[in-house]
Amino acid sequence: MKRALCLLAGLSFAAVSALDAQPAEAQPCYALKHKGDPGTRACFQGLTRAANAAVQAEGFWGMGDFRAANDAFRAAVKQAEKDPAPRARWGRMYLEHWQPSDASELFGEALEIKADYAPALLGQARVAAEAFEGKAVEYAEKALKADPKLYEAHELIARVALEDNNPKKSEEAAHKALEISGEALDALAVLGAIDLLNDKPDSQWFRRISQINPHYGDAYALAGHFFVINRRYEEGIAMYRKAVELDPTLNSARSDLGISLMQLGQEGEARKQLEQAYNAGYQDPQTVNTLRLLDSYKDYVTNETPRTSLRLHKKEANLLRPYFQSEFERALATFDKKYKFKLTEPVQIEVYPNHEDFAVRTMGMPGLGALGVTFGKVVAMDSPSGRPPGQWHWASTMWHELSHVYVIAMTKHRVPRWFTEGMAVYEETAASPDWGDRLDPPTIDAIKTKKLLPIADLDRGFVHPTYPAQVNVSYFQGGRICTFIAEKWGFDTLLAMIQDFGNKMTTVEVVEKELKVKPEEFDRQFLEWLEPKYKNTIDNFTDWRKRIRGLSESAKKKNWDEVIKEGEAIRDFYPDYVETGSVYEFLAIAWREKGDKAKQIAELEHYSKTGGRDPGMLKSLANLQAEQGRKREAAATLERLNMIFLQDDAAHQKLAELHLELGNANGAIREYQAVLAGKPIDVAGANYGLARAFLAAKRIPDAREAVVSALEAAPGFKPAQKLLLELSEKE
Amino acid sequence: MKTLRVPACPLGRYSVTEPRPSGSGGKLALALLALTCIAQADTFYLTVSGLGGEQEYEQRFSGWAKELELILKNEPASKLETLSGAQSTRAAIQAKLADIAKQAKPADNFILFMIGHGSFDETDYKFNVTGPDITATELAAALDKIPAQQLIVNMTSASGGATSAIQKSRRVVISATKAGTEANATVFARYFIESLRDPSADTDKNEAITALEAFRYAEAKTAKFFEDLKRLATEHALLEDTGKGDGVKAPSPENGQGLVAGRFAVLHTGTSAAVARNPEKLALLKRKEEIEAQIDDLKYRKAALSVQEYRGQLQKFLLELAKTQEALDK
Repeated sequence: MKRALCLLAGLSFAAVSALDAQPAEAQPCYALKHKGDPGTRACFQGLTRAANAAVQAEGFWGMGDFRAANDAFRAAVKQAEKDPAPRARWGRMYLEHWQPSDASELFGEALEIKADYAPALLGQARVAAEAFEGKAVEYAEKALKADPKLYEAHELIARVALEDNNPKKSEEAAHKALEISGEALDALAVLGAIDLLNDKPDSQWFRRISQINPHYGDAYALAGHFFVINRRYEEGIAMYRKAVELDPTLNSARSDLGISLMQLGQEGEARKQLEQAYNAGYQDPQTVNTLRLLDSYKDYVTNETPRTSLRLHKKEANLLRPYFQSEFERALATFDKKYKFKLTEPVQIEVYPNHEDFAVRTMGMPGLGALGVTFGKVVAMDSPSGRPPGQWHWASTMWHELSHVYVIAMTKHRVPRWFTEGMAVYEETAASPDWGDRLDPPTIDAIKTKKLLPIADLDRGFVHPTYPAQVNVSYFQGGRICTFIAEKWGFDTLLAMIQDFGNKMTTVEVVEKELKVKPEEFDRQFLEWLEPKYKNTIDNFTDWRKRIRGLSESAKKKNWDEVIKEGEAIRDFYPDYVETGSVYEFLAIAWREKGDKAKQIAELEHYSKTGGRDPGMLKSLANLQAEQGRKREAAATLERLNMIFLQDDAAHQKLAELHLELGNANGAIREYQAVLAGKPIDVAGANYGLARAFLAAKRIPDAREAVVSALEAAPGFKPAQKLLLELSEKE
Repeated sequence: MKTLRVPACPLGRYSVTEPRPSGSGGKLALALLALTCIAQADTFYLTVSGLGGEQEYEQRFSGWAKELELILKNEPASKLETLSGAQSTRAAIQAKLADIAKQAKPADNFILFMIGHGSFDETDYKFNVTGPDITATELAAALDKIPAQQLIVNMTSASGGATSAIQKSRRVVISATKAGTEANATVFARYFIESLRDPSADTDKNEAITALEAFRYAEAKTAKFFEDLKRLATEHALLEDTGKGDGVKAPSPENGQGLVAGRFAVLHTGTSAAVARNPEKLALLKRKEEIEAQIDDLKYRKAALSVQEYRGQLQKFLLELAKTQEALDK
């Protein structure tokens, strides 16, 4: 959502404040624009002939000629070096031209000239709001302090509050704007959006907007934005359609329409709308990147079943498909039973090997995890190859996203952000305790410094974070809240809460109804449950951090006795730390160097069980387990690695051999096929292995095909020759 | 390919899965193969690990050199020399090369492994060793005196900068980097050494790891190393074995590179050569070679055949080859 655009037009001639940066000569034109008057363009055209560069710039900008406006603003700033106004206006133009950093720089310069310059403060508020940053309101409030009549600041606060799922605060702010200007279009639009979100389609506010400006499509685009961020995509699309119907030149809304259509998998019309916006000159990064992504879909293949649609990049489809399809179906079967709900349409999962492509899918959405995203029944996620090995757990992410699909469908898209994310995080570890993200240092700090949000305000942590790690901390908190509820009230209570949200109840109402406590009391009980669980880590974290540095130094010096002594002393201070340089890693190395394989294995097993994801460490564990004859455990370790990273030929090869030895022919077939899908150096060896696996599964014709492929690559490969002879005898 | 030749040497062929050069090129390759024999030839190995500069690199480089020594020590008819750390001086390297030049015959093979840091000053490459560095030009002068067929595996940083000075006919040059400007410490050496330990590097399963097989293995693993870490690759290994032109990343009949490297064995892993020396098996060996030639011929014609036709004929030949091999092994 290109929010800057929605708010730009909302300037009433009658309400222009004395401190506004707009030149007086331009104000009649903005007044015409405000009303949707057909004479607006002619008025701006007139300004382009003005002698004053600042006025000229407004004229070009109003005509949509950004280049000429830019030149004129440059001249205007030169002409009035000590005047913050042209800088603030230039910044506004940059914001409209998708250059928030440049805009912010200009607002900053204006504020250097005049520290309490309200239009520049408002500009900074807009920049922050565009990036869903928590300081947007702070800037807006400063702007209001400098200019209490600046109704646009109230409009911005109203909008941010509604994004935080706080309609009460939003309404209050919108009414404050209307008290200053009865024609504050975006305040009216926010109030209209609240009505629509509350299923009141016949909103008086839209009638009022129409009386002021019958072509004000931005009001519906704003409503579309709120539907989309509340995951009510179909309704969002309907609003964007209405916006472009009222104002066919409103290309920001057309682009949003295209992107929303794409999110729902309606790629044909999405492309049409995006191309129309692009060809009309609306070439913001989101439109351009989305069109590029649509172009790249020719490189993808889709595998469909009655319930699933799996889109994979051609270059890795053969490798990923068996694993992704299997987890996809397993998750759906599990959730069908668990949620007592059957999805009526197929679910689509798109897997992107290039993280930038995936990022295009999430642009403009607040507080989204960087690994996967769900749009109704469409899930987009990174491929295991899209990130360094061991950095994340693809299967955990898939289950997370598929949980969203159920919760969103069951609530008919009426679920607060914190709850659906909480459920999704809960499902990660419900699928397997070693899945899911571990407790990280920012979350430890948040618990320690009492930064966790009250349940009633938890959405704010996702949408408008006030510190960098707050989105992640909020995921953690949401997940733990769902775990707490499941433990204390039972999983069925979570199901009842889903039903309540679907019946349009608020978080406060749902907590009171299902948990029979006030939200404040819930918060108290939750912390009482949570804090003891992490007390050990919180109390010892500072000490752990200090001592792990010493541990690292001892390891560098190969002082293994010291590593063991100190490692064992501090490991359980922070057992969830399984990232690079963990105590588990140091201890495993130390035991290896001391020649104690049993202890090395024990440490690595502890690491794996706690959620460690490093492929190197997991492969070491599997090798050691296999060496000790513990082949089943070794296979299980490598199966676990498959849920984390799939582009490891050596691991597939090892697992294939283990499965074959353990009599799991189908597992061996899958693994040898994975080796071949990775285009191995040893084609003959992999085909030979596959042939043996097919033979074990009594699939003789397939075995023969595979062994012929092995010998095609290496005709003199003796074991394959023997197998070919053996197979010939069988036929 | 109808005449009986001297026993087939267990050397790596040109990639059997790839199309061969059109015309007589492919046939020539097979003829060359037949004339190469390990039985009478010696292989001289010289491993030089240069200065590390830091303890970590010193250990890494000398460790790799030791590992190579361990892998190669059982190679039949081999003469193994290693210069490590302080021993690696320009004079010592030149002396070792001069010594090999005296002993080696044209039928012999000579392999030089260079491990460590290199540099390039836009004019010449320098291998960083104790005392004055040795330049590519100085190396080339010493190498030119060795009459044996040669393989130079330059695994140092900036090694691509040495190729133009070293390249020569009957000399395979492998460099860890594509140019002298790729100056970061390399990982290529790790994977090249690994290829000599990993049976999967022997892609044609003929019990010998050729220079081409080892190069392909190390090149692929190095590329994957950077890809997995999502890092921009700072090294791009190349192979040059024609004595002219630039090295290539993917040697193939199309670019004319890899033909010599494909039959240059770095390491033998089996005992098939012994079988080939048994006169009682000559008839079977002849039949084996005939079938192999028929398989090669079939592969040339693959594009002109339907999949069913191709697979049917291939299977028939492979079965016959397997039976012949079974008889040979009895």
